Amino acid sequence: MPFLRLDNVVKRYGEHSAVQGVSFSAEKGEFVVFVGPSGCGKSTLLRMIAGLEEISDGDVLIDEKVVTHVEPARREVAMVFQSYALYPHMSVFENLAFGLRMVKTSEGEIKRRVAEAARILQIEALLQRKPRQLSGGQRQRVAIGRAIVRNPKLFLFDEPLSNLDAELRTQMRVEIAKLHRALGVTMVYVTHDQIEAMTLADRIVVLRAGLVEQVGTPTELYDRPANVFVAGFIGSPRMNFLPACVTAATDGQLTVSSPAFTGGTLTVATKGAHQVRIGEEVSVGMRPEHLELRTARPVLTLKADFAEYLGGASQIYAQPDGGALMTIVVPGRPPISKNEDLPIGIAPDHIYLFDKQGLGI
Amino acid sequence: MMLRRLLHGLGLVVVLCFTLFPFYWMVSSSFKDQTDLLASPPVWLFTPTLANYADIFADEKVFGAIVNSLIIATLTTALSVLLGAPAAYALARFDFRGKSDLWFWFISNRMISPIVLALPVYLLALQMNLLDTHLVLVLIYLTFNLPIVVWICTDQFRSIPIELEQAARLDGANQFTIFRKIYIPLGLPGIAVSAIFSFIFSWNELLYALVLTRRSVQTAPVIATSFMSGYELPWGKIMATGTVIVLPVTVFALLVSKHMVRGLTMGATK
Ligand SMILES: Nc1ncnc2c1ncn2[C@@H]1O[C@H](COP(=O)(O)OP(=O)(O)OP(=O)(O)O)[C@@H](O)[C@H]1O
Ligand SMILES: [Mg+2]
Repeated sequence: MPFLRLDNVVKRYGEHSAVQGVSFSAEKGEFVVFVGPSGCGKSTLLRMIAGLEEISDGDVLIDEKVVTHVEPARREVAMVFQSYALYPHMSVFENLAFGLRMVKTSEGEIKRRVAEAARILQIEALLQRKPRQLSGGQRQRVAIGRAIVRNPKLFLFDEPLSNLDAELRTQMRVEIAKLHRALGVTMVYVTHDQIEAMTLADRIVVLRAGLVEQVGTPTELYDRPANVFVAGFIGSPRMNFLPACVTAATDGQLTVSSPAFTGGTLTVATKGAHQVRIGEEVSVGMRPEHLELRTARPVLTLKADFAEYLGGASQIYAQPDGGALMTIVVPGRPPISKNEDLPIGIAPDHIYLFDKQGLGI
Repeated sequence: MMLRRLLHGLGLVVVLCFTLFPFYWMVSSSFKDQTDLLASPPVWLFTPTLANYADIFADEKVFGAIVNSLIIATLTTALSVLLGAPAAYALARFDFRGKSDLWFWFISNRMISPIVLALPVYLLALQMNLLDTHLVLVLIYLTFNLPIVVWICTDQFRSIPIELEQAARLDGANQFTIFRKIYIPLGLPGIAVSAIFSFIFSWNELLYALVLTRRSVQTAPVIATSFMSGYELPWGKIMATGTVIVLPVTVFALLVSKHMVRGLTMGATK
């Protein structure tokens, strides 16, 4: 039985639909991440689960109960806002205690629960401070603390780490993962950070323009993206796409041609998802980290443009004749000179094909 | 650099002299006796006397007027804030039909010169048997003050991050609790400013006080001007009354202004 279920949920703002029919369910204890470009409706969806946003159509079910019209407080969900939303005039203790006071918890119980949450998040020393006397990371902890004191059934996070610097972000990410393991509560987490999505999620929901593009585990999305959008969105640096034309199609195999390919054509095994006709234009996807530089059996020949040396690895930018710039990630720091011809190889099972509509072939 | 600071300081001194001199003149004159008052050229050094104050406080009318003014200004201020702040919250955070019209109506109220309404208001008060009561002034001042209170408080409440309200809702707070625990404490600067405005307005208002009151509910400004009606001008009494009138507003403003600090919401976000 799914613990959280969205049933064709729609959010309309006048003419415009921010969320246009999202269905999806999560098991108890699952960590679900919503990703997608800015404005795709992630926050709106999360806020509809929380009850902060009216649902125009469809239903939200939590723990097998329809909560579509239930007020936020009764849904037993807690939300951590992107902006933290700490009560600035209250001490950290009072911030944590606020929700407990609202349900008339006894003073002793409040003390116990706040102390427990403070211990988990290591903010015991800060309880008497006001939010303005805290650093960004500490505020973030308090915001999470405010969520956990209430023992909610469901945790909602809206880009909780986006205001933190890179190092703190990594640290808090690990702590959120630990917290999830320790509490075992269902969590829904919105982010547009790849790494957060890949590392935290049991399952990722990729959204675009108010629609679900694909749902799957991080590795599923990485290995078998359903379409060009997901392929380009998951993975960093972005997947390279080369336009090509189908010249031959046999059972399970497709031959495509493009001037970029060594020898002009490339034969790829298809997943047999659907048929393509000869002459159709397709997109060939290759992840930067799958490309090999200067191999003996090249698939592509590219002209080097420039290289970025990141220390342990390098990103090399090169382009086919008259084509768009492609990225190649390689270990070490190979010397690259501009306009040098680079023979590039790739394992056949790392080549993705997408049809004109952008669907995976 | 030095020159700029010097000029800046000099400018401040000029402005201060300009604004404070009449004030100084009023206060110092209130401690002069009649000869010093009428001396020409004016005397700067004199032996202060409390005679004028003794005079006005002996005058029941003056004392009564100050009490009247206090009652009216306090009541008006309390009611304006009590009614205005919740209205401002609604305007700041709820969507309802006619909201923008209502909003405009609030300021348009202030576009009419008060004197235009004096006669209709007088007739209305006459009809309702409200002339010469505290209530009539409280009511009319309320109509003038409420728009300002609503206006200032709405602006203040809008500046409070909406996430705070949403977080409180998720925490289980109802609308009233949210207003009391979030909007009042964080909107205090705006509430304080509007309370000061409201008090000062009601305390100083002369036109309607003249039109709507007779004997029993005269307010302080009415009394102060009433001294000017005889053949002689009792400058000492006028100045002493003026000083006494200014005092409560100053004290009130000083008391409330400590809430007028900026940055109450610091630390809420980011
Ligand atoms: N109150 C509103 N009125 C009208 N349109 C809105 C409103 N709130 C959000 N939208 C629109 O709904 C869409 C989704 O917004 P949402 O905040 O959910 O995006 P998001 O995916 O969270 O983006 P981001 O990553 O930038 O936070 C956007 O196009 C936005 O302009
Ligand atoms: Mg968002």
